[in-house]
Amino acid sequence: MTPAQALMEEAQPIHPAPTSFWRRYVFSIDHKMIAKQFLWAGLLFLLVGGALAMLIRWQWGFPYRPVPLVGRLLFGESGVIGPATYQQIFTTHGLVMIFFAVTPVLIGTFGNLLIPLMIGARDMAFPRLNMYSFWTFLLSQLLVLASFFAPLGSAGAGWTTYTPLSTNVGMPGMGQTLVVAAIFVTGVSSTMGAVNYITTVIRLRAPGMTYMRLPLTIWGLWLTAILNALFVPVLGSAALLLLLDRSFGTEFFVAGASAVRGGGDPILWQHLFWIFGHPEVYIMILPAWGILGDVLSFFARKPHHWYRGTVWAMVLVTVLSAMVYGHHMFMTGMSPLLGEGFMLFTLLISIPSMVVVVNWVLTLWQGSLRYDTPMLFALGTVFVFGVGGLTGLFLGDISMDLYLHDTMFVVGHFHFTMAAASVMGAFTGIYFWFPKMFGRRLGERLGKIHFWFTFLGLTLVFGGQLLAGYAGQERRLFDPFQYTFIQGLRGLNRWTSYFAFALFTGQLFFVVNFFRGVFGRRAAPAGPNPWHVTTLEWTATSSPPPFHNFDRIPEVVRGPHELSNPEVRRLTGRDFAGQAELLPGDGAAAVAARKG
Amino acid sequence: MAQREERGREPAPGLVRDLTRYRRRPHGAERTAYVGMAVFLGSWAMLFVALFFAYAFLRARAPSWPPLDAPPLPRLLPGLNTLVIAASSAAVVRATRSQELRRPRGVTAALAAAVVLGAIFLLVQGVVWSGLWRQGLVPAGGPYPSVFYAFTAFHALHVVVGLAALAWLAVRARAGGESLRTDVRLWGWYWHFVGVVWGVLYLTVYLA
Ligand code: HEM
Ligand SMILES: [Cu+2]
Repeated sequence: MTPAQALMEEAQPIHPAPTSFWRRYVFSIDHKMIAKQFLWAGLLFLLVGGALAMLIRWQWGFPYRPVPLVGRLLFGESGVIGPATYQQIFTTHGLVMIFFAVTPVLIGTFGNLLIPLMIGARDMAFPRLNMYSFWTFLLSQLLVLASFFAPLGSAGAGWTTYTPLSTNVGMPGMGQTLVVAAIFVTGVSSTMGAVNYITTVIRLRAPGMTYMRLPLTIWGLWLTAILNALFVPVLGSAALLLLLDRSFGTEFFVAGASAVRGGGDPILWQHLFWIFGHPEVYIMILPAWGILGDVLSFFARKPHHWYRGTVWAMVLVTVLSAMVYGHHMFMTGMSPLLGEGFMLFTLLISIPSMVVVVNWVLTLWQGSLRYDTPMLFALGTVFVFGVGGLTGLFLGDISMDLYLHDTMFVVGHFHFTMAAASVMGAFTGIYFWFPKMFGRRLGERLGKIHFWFTFLGLTLVFGGQLLAGYAGQERRLFDPFQYTFIQGLRGLNRWTSYFAFALFTGQLFFVVNFFRGVFGRRAAPAGPNPWHVTTLEWTATSSPPPFHNFDRIPEVVRGPHELSNPEVRRLTGRDFAGQAELLPGDGAAAVAARKG
Repeated sequence: MAQREERGREPAPGLVRDLTRYRRRPHGAERTAYVGMAVFLGSWAMLFVALFFAYAFLRARAPSWPPLDAPPLPRLLPGLNTLVIAASSAAVVRATRSQELRRPRGVTAALAAAVVLGAIFLLVQGVVWSGLWRQGLVPAGGPYPSVFYAFTAFHALHVVVGLAALAWLAVRARAGGESLRTDVRLWGWYWHFVGVVWGVLYLTVYLA
């Protein structure tokens, strides 16, 4: 053991695994268990959010017709969705998906599972805080569920919760208050998580795990945590002020009735929301970028192309993402000069984004591709993110945005990026790390069917949205076809709905696969390293890892993508070498170097 | 090991010499806790940054600030309060230092002083609130009182949390013990943070 290893060992002693049911599964402080808790909680709400989406699509495919199966149950005698209910459906769909489904899966699950395992630590820096973070998150989910049963129904001001619609003037019900409170509480949970993630990466990297040897997944998660730490509190303070407006009669967001006293300003909400909101979109894509960076390299059996470039591009995107929020507000009457500034930075962001994408493509270039399910999902993610990013350029241009703002084009754009790319990125991660979490692989056949349903479904549904928006259909309309100029889009909307139903049904393959993988006993154990890759969680411990992760804290000797190196092949007969693996030849020299 | 043997001895007089001799370098877990607290406070500061942004935004758009019919905010009492909370912070610095020197009594005394000063701060703040309330300034009277009450109340909430923590630390400190070192330090940071926020609040909401 090297001195550096000994120091880390001393700082992170092995504790005996807890044995009682409650300590193991419920009030666990083990980051791997907390990751699973986030996974279950997130997937459950993904189902809720998905079901709500089906209702929206039903309304647009078949307005005023009773919803089959569940209509009478949910919407009373007629079984038809009413305008007020419809408003709540699309609002809670958006909120549930963003804050309570994709965020917990992408950040809660992978952040918790992977940060300690991939940097060679025994747990998070603050395991107890980690547990609180999950329970706070659960509380926020319960608040959302409670809002469904509130008199006057749940939140209905859109996921952006724009004032004055979201104040008592527009949404007097208790449901809106509960949801705003839920946003605040989930923000507290995210902040706790972020503090933990940031500190863990700074303090607990194994000896030799320099920043430039971190797997890209960790870079993505770490930058995400930084954005979370900085900008979630901004949303928190907006939510707080809105709660005060709703419950204590303050007037931050309500335009004043009296000329003497002046009044609050609804636009203030938009500023606070988007100061958080634009970084939030990168909060949701950076973990997926990171996962792609590693997975594409692993399954192309090649080192990631220009690793440093990707890292710096991701850092640059993180920085720039804090400076462009105004592009959501071109239509609020902001000064043209300010608008152009925001436009400039918005378009600048696409340069580092392009560096990331081009590096993915060059990583694939001339690789020996293996098309396992995680790789299929990764490739699909590259495609849908490409479409999402390109449509963003149109929206970032002021003169185009004047036409496209608040149309389905915006909805298509952010669904390609957030819903398609983030969700497929999350599925990439789930398929890839499932063996590490549960000890068995997910079935390939079901996985591939699931992939095609998901990939084609997402592309067709959101493609339909882009087309409808380009043709002028506005977003959030209860009955778009009340406008004659949209009536021609009935067919398009109906087809989009059919594809959406297929997409939803296709997820059944995943559910079956997932339950089989978790609870089934038939599949053989996956073994420590089923994908033959390099990072610590695969090469320095078992699947699933023991409570303390590593019997001995590993000493990292190389970067994360040592693949297809002829020298390694000569020494080991394999085409990869673990990050902490000492090779026969370099042993003596390396040991001497480290001693010196 | 060497540190343990020293524990029983009285520290030599002369603060600087004491510190250089007795200050131990923080060990790994402590440093991790420092980093975590720094990240947390940085993050939490953004909450207040957003509040001040909201304030600046509303004020810039208001036809007049303060509104013509609003009572003026007092300056003297809150000004005194600024001194009180600064003194309280100083007491916490004192407590940290006593902790370094392993003087449990000193820690308790300094923390108790900090708590008393903090309580005085809240009391004075209560006087300010009730005075303004009686003059007719209520939260539901437009953005001006909204900003005033929301900010001061939110800040006071942080003071309450800090007071509870410091009081609890003061009780635990009587028993002495090494493990308190990090706690005293980190709650000290928190307390300074709350003090700095008050300073900015005083300058922008009361004075400007
Ligand atoms: C190449 C980079 C991107 C550019 C240039 C871009 C540009 C824009 C612009 C200008 C808007 C405002 C459109 C409007 O409301 O009129 C917008 C909306 C949006 N974008 Fe992007 N975007 C990019 C990447 C992303 C990514 C990566 C995500 C998420 C992962 C994302 C998610 C969203 C969301 C959620 C909205 C709108 C939300 C709403 O109004 O409800 N964007 N984008
Ligand atoms: Cu944006």
